[in-house]
Amino acid sequence: MAQSWSGELLHIHIAPAASYEMEELAEARLIAGKGIEGDRYFLGTGTYSPKPDVRDVTLIETEVLEQLAAGEPKMPGIKLDLAPGDHRRNLTTRGVPLNHLVGQRFRIGETVLRGARLNFPCKYIEELLGMPRLFDGLLNRSGLNCAIEVGGIIRPGDRIVPMES
Amino acid sequence: MASPRLIMKMKVASLRSEAGDVSVVEFRHPRRPQLPPFEAGSHVDIHMPGGKVRQYSLMGDPADLSRYLIGVKREEAGRGGSAWLHANLKVGDELAVSAPRNHFRLHNEAQAHLLLGGGIGITPMIAMARALKAQGKAFVLHFFARSRMMAPMLADLETELPADHLVLHFDDDPATVVDLAELLKEQKDGTHLYYCGPPGFMAWARASSTHWKPDTVHFEAFQPEEDPNFVPQAFTIQLRSTGQELNVPADTSALTMLRAAGVLLFSSCENGVCGSCECGFVTGEPIHRDAVLSPEAKTRRFISCVSRAKGRIVLDL
Repeated sequence: MAQSWSGELLHIHIAPAASYEMEELAEARLIAGKGIEGDRYFLGTGTYSPKPDVRDVTLIETEVLEQLAAGEPKMPGIKLDLAPGDHRRNLTTRGVPLNHLVGQRFRIGETVLRGARLNFPCKYIEELLGMPRLFDGLLNRSGLNCAIEVGGIIRPGDRIVPMES
Repeated sequence: MASPRLIMKMKVASLRSEAGDVSVVEFRHPRRPQLPPFEAGSHVDIHMPGGKVRQYSLMGDPADLSRYLIGVKREEAGRGGSAWLHANLKVGDELAVSAPRNHFRLHNEAQAHLLLGGGIGITPMIAMARALKAQGKAFVLHFFARSRMMAPMLADLETELPADHLVLHFDDDPATVVDLAELLKEQKDGTHLYYCGPPGFMAWARASSTHWKPDTVHFEAFQPEEDPNFVPQAFTIQLRSTGQELNVPADTSALTMLRAAGVLLFSSCENGVCGSCECGFVTGEPIHRDAVLSPEAKTRRFISCVSRAKGRIVLDL
């Protein structure tokens, strides 16, 4: 695939265990095949850790958060202010077409990720944040679960670019 | 399933010693100026090193969301949570504190509220009295303690509450001693009763209020009442969604077996007081051993960390 887009990493968030508030990092270490050092899915302490899946690292587009904050699309018109630390995905991106990256490889800084499956929203986060309708608001735009193929250090501001898959 | 609650790493902003070996801890959030809201009667979970989780009532003003205030009595004979907090907590420390949950809310439909706080059980009553006073509701708070010297937060209460809203009972002052059976003898129309305190006080209040209408009596226990004669028996759980059957051995909790079967249930105190692991039951005869569920809730809900069942129970999972 020719390089057709280029994005940026805006925020990195981790939580030490299920239900813990997310913490923002200025730098994170990605470990191939495992996750982000210190995150609940790296440590096996996440809500869904007992269930087999790929969730080394999860990503969401800041564009989705902006649309939600603006109440777009007008139908169904769900308007919610979801701060980058509240959505419980690890990485917030700009300019990255996450829904098109299942099975695709891409770089963030020195690391390489592979899109594994589209993320699906959960009622758990709706209850945790006390935000009814968040589940509906994130349907079909809840981000991407990725495997880490090449680990390394990432920082906000890193470029995100596609690779030949 | 009970709601999960956000767990926040909060800073100890101040510590204050109160009578009766009580420490008042003020928590603030390093980044959030506004904390998740709470109502009078709410508690938070405090997560301590080593996996201990303990529940403490919020005693601050529900209108002030810049901080959470708890009162911790040092219990030498307790399970170690309060002793750890008293021995180790310093201003500036960070501790994991959950968003509040309320099993002990004020009932707005009541025409009057009768609040009974025994010893450290005064903490939820302080928030309740403040809320009722702010709303201009009819209430009286009875505070039971061994002595004036042992009564925590008394100075604040005496400053804030008019004399006809605060009645003090000290074991060492015969003029103030009252029998709960006498105090609760008559239930005035529309009055709701709320009580909280150590196990002996809870048993006394329960025994003295058996003739009250069940939906007008509310309490919060620090721990479920122990029945020394209870002998756990094995039983069977069936999951309503899949039909799967789980055998719960006599020495194992329902929660443990549910988790082993891959059922996603939250838990916190695992002692029958916080309600995190609550779920519904459809048929069967539960043996309720918790201190959370109201008599009405006991007809359809189940606390899986401590409660058991006779024979087979079908859980709404």
